[in-house]
Amino acid sequence: MPTSSEGRGDLAICAEGLGKAYVKAAGGARGDTLRDGLSAALAKLGRAEPRAARSRFWALQDASFQIRHGENVGVLGLNGAGKSTLLKLLSRVTAPTTGRATINGRLGSLLEVGTGFHGELTGRENIFLYGSILGMRWAEVARKLDEIVAFAGVEEFVDTPVKRYSSGMYVRLAFSVAAHLDPDVLLLDEVLSVGDLPFQRKCMAFAKDLQNRHATILFVSHNMFSIKTMCERVLYLKKGRIVFDGPTNAGIELYEADGQLEAAGWAAPELVDPSVRILDVEIADQTRCPRSVFDHGERLRLRFDYEAKAPIRGANFVVVFIRSDEVACCCYSTELDGLSLDLEPGVNRLELGTPPLALVADVYRIEILVREAGFQKLLCAQSGGSFHVRDPLLDTHFGVFHEPGTWATNEVVHLARPKIQSRGAEL
Amino acid sequence: MTLRYEAFRRENRAGTVVIQPPAGLWSLDLPEVWRYRELLYVLVMRELKVRYKQAAIGALWALVQPVVAVAIFAVIFGYFAKMPSAGVPYVVFAFAAVLPWTYFAEALRRSSTGLIGDAELIRKIYFPRLLTPLALVIAPLAEFAAGFCVLLALLAWFHLAPGPGVILLPLFLLVAMLLALSLALWLAPISVRYRDVGHALPFLIQVWLYASPVAYPESLVPQRWRALYDLNPMVGVISGFRWALLGSGRPDLQAMGVSGAVIAVLLVGGVVFFRKMERSFADVI
Repeated sequence: MPTSSEGRGDLAICAEGLGKAYVKAAGGARGDTLRDGLSAALAKLGRAEPRAARSRFWALQDASFQIRHGENVGVLGLNGAGKSTLLKLLSRVTAPTTGRATINGRLGSLLEVGTGFHGELTGRENIFLYGSILGMRWAEVARKLDEIVAFAGVEEFVDTPVKRYSSGMYVRLAFSVAAHLDPDVLLLDEVLSVGDLPFQRKCMAFAKDLQNRHATILFVSHNMFSIKTMCERVLYLKKGRIVFDGPTNAGIELYEADGQLEAAGWAAPELVDPSVRILDVEIADQTRCPRSVFDHGERLRLRFDYEAKAPIRGANFVVVFIRSDEVACCCYSTELDGLSLDLEPGVNRLELGTPPLALVADVYRIEILVREAGFQKLLCAQSGGSFHVRDPLLDTHFGVFHEPGTWATNEVVHLARPKIQSRGAEL
Repeated sequence: MTLRYEAFRRENRAGTVVIQPPAGLWSLDLPEVWRYRELLYVLVMRELKVRYKQAAIGALWALVQPVVAVAIFAVIFGYFAKMPSAGVPYVVFAFAAVLPWTYFAEALRRSSTGLIGDAELIRKIYFPRLLTPLALVIAPLAEFAAGFCVLLALLAWFHLAPGPGVILLPLFLLVAMLLALSLALWLAPISVRYRDVGHALPFLIQVWLYASPVAYPESLVPQRWRALYDLNPMVGVISGFRWALLGSGRPDLQAMGVSGAVIAVLLVGGVVFFRKMERSFADVI
């Protein structure tokens, strides 16, 4: 190995001032037909519009960072913060406007599983197609074919057109091809969140295996759980800039602090007219002292300030605790607890005291929903902060929650003797 | 041990990739296209397989287009209009021209608009975009080959044997291919931005058909228009095909030279234009 450039040769990714600007056409119209383009060009000739006058939108600006071989780095940020743009630049899907980046080693990117697939082609044909698109050699694909098929678990359907596959099989096969690319540098965009749970475990195991083989992974996810398990370092992007580059826990804290009171993404189609708005959430302990870390078995006290735009009869407030791997663990509802709320326009306050928390140690996000009586029309859906549960032993391996049970040992049951039958005879 | 192997492996594989804003006109990096040659092969195979999958008569469809075109020409120009056909049966005369023409028209149409079909891919994965039009001018060669077999059968039926000029046939085919490619390299980047290309192309191809000696012999064109007419490279290709297969007329070397020069200019300019534009395909497609 050449040692002269040891310092630099050690880097897997080195980005200097990377930036990407998109041009927003004046007047909002994005000239998609030749006529629009021509008339715009003519107009420009006539008025000699200066280039700078066209408004530019910087999806990513001045991103500089260095990632060493073998490092696993998570990329955090709200929607539109520039995470996907960063990955698109690094994977060369699109060219940067400014700056420069170098990538040492074989680059694999999984920006969306299965985009290279063609429905009419069989599984086998698609493996070759997708493999070549990802940059694998023909011979390499042929050598790994059996492995790929086995990893995806589609042995019986290799010669079936993939349009007949279930969506699960489709995704598994696509991931399997990409997984066998054996890259030195891997860019992952939310792909581990696809497929069923056993397959997700397989994917995580695979990522771990890549880690062990000293591969570099740059990983975008909204799932703090996977970021925490995979990455020791995170980049936190905000409005197109890297605002934090450091240890995972510190980055996640920043991210979560910024993520408070965001509208819940899933609710957008259902939430036509949000007539209630949550203004503030405070997470506190029993003594109303604000805290974000709790021990297993402690009680939480949540306080919401909300604003109703119109009078609402019988509103139902629902508070959901969602674990970092997106499992909704428990919920509290005013309606289920027999409280009927009639909201008046204006700002009001509501408090919720929980029973001793039985949840296992992890990070939990709070989602607040307001519905009409009887769990009808959705009036509000917001994400509002998060808290940690701490326990030296109880983690997600122990299930969703843990409560003590009652055990008895004084009665010995002999399974060999069919007691039930004899009882039946007595009847 | 493992680590040493890793280092060895890393050194022996794709080295450093530099990502920077598009610079200068001449950063073409054509060796990169060569490195992706296997993908080119896969894309050609995909095009061929997908086109006739789940069709009852499958690849036979490849023959329908030229056969129907020849049948129409034979009835209208051969039977009704009694078009002169250089001393061979009109059907053979027309088929020898329809074959390269159909290839050219298909190659031009598919390669100029094919990027849009790969939009999903282009938005998500990097590969030299040049491969898409390249694959799409290569794929119709298979259909050409199928049609060529029919033509050979036709020649045998009429007891016609091609002369020694037939060894130049691949050259004429290559000219048609490079012409389609050189135009596609200009049209494809425009089609990514403006879908108008897809609408305008069928008309262009239709006009071009009648501006080429497909249904009629080029001797029908008045002498004073010949200089202009010969600027159409397909004139050289089609008369070359007729000469090589039927021995009728002879290739106009001067006209071929002119078309060669036109194609060379279009092709070099097209590659530069395409490589420059492809950097932004993912943003606008």
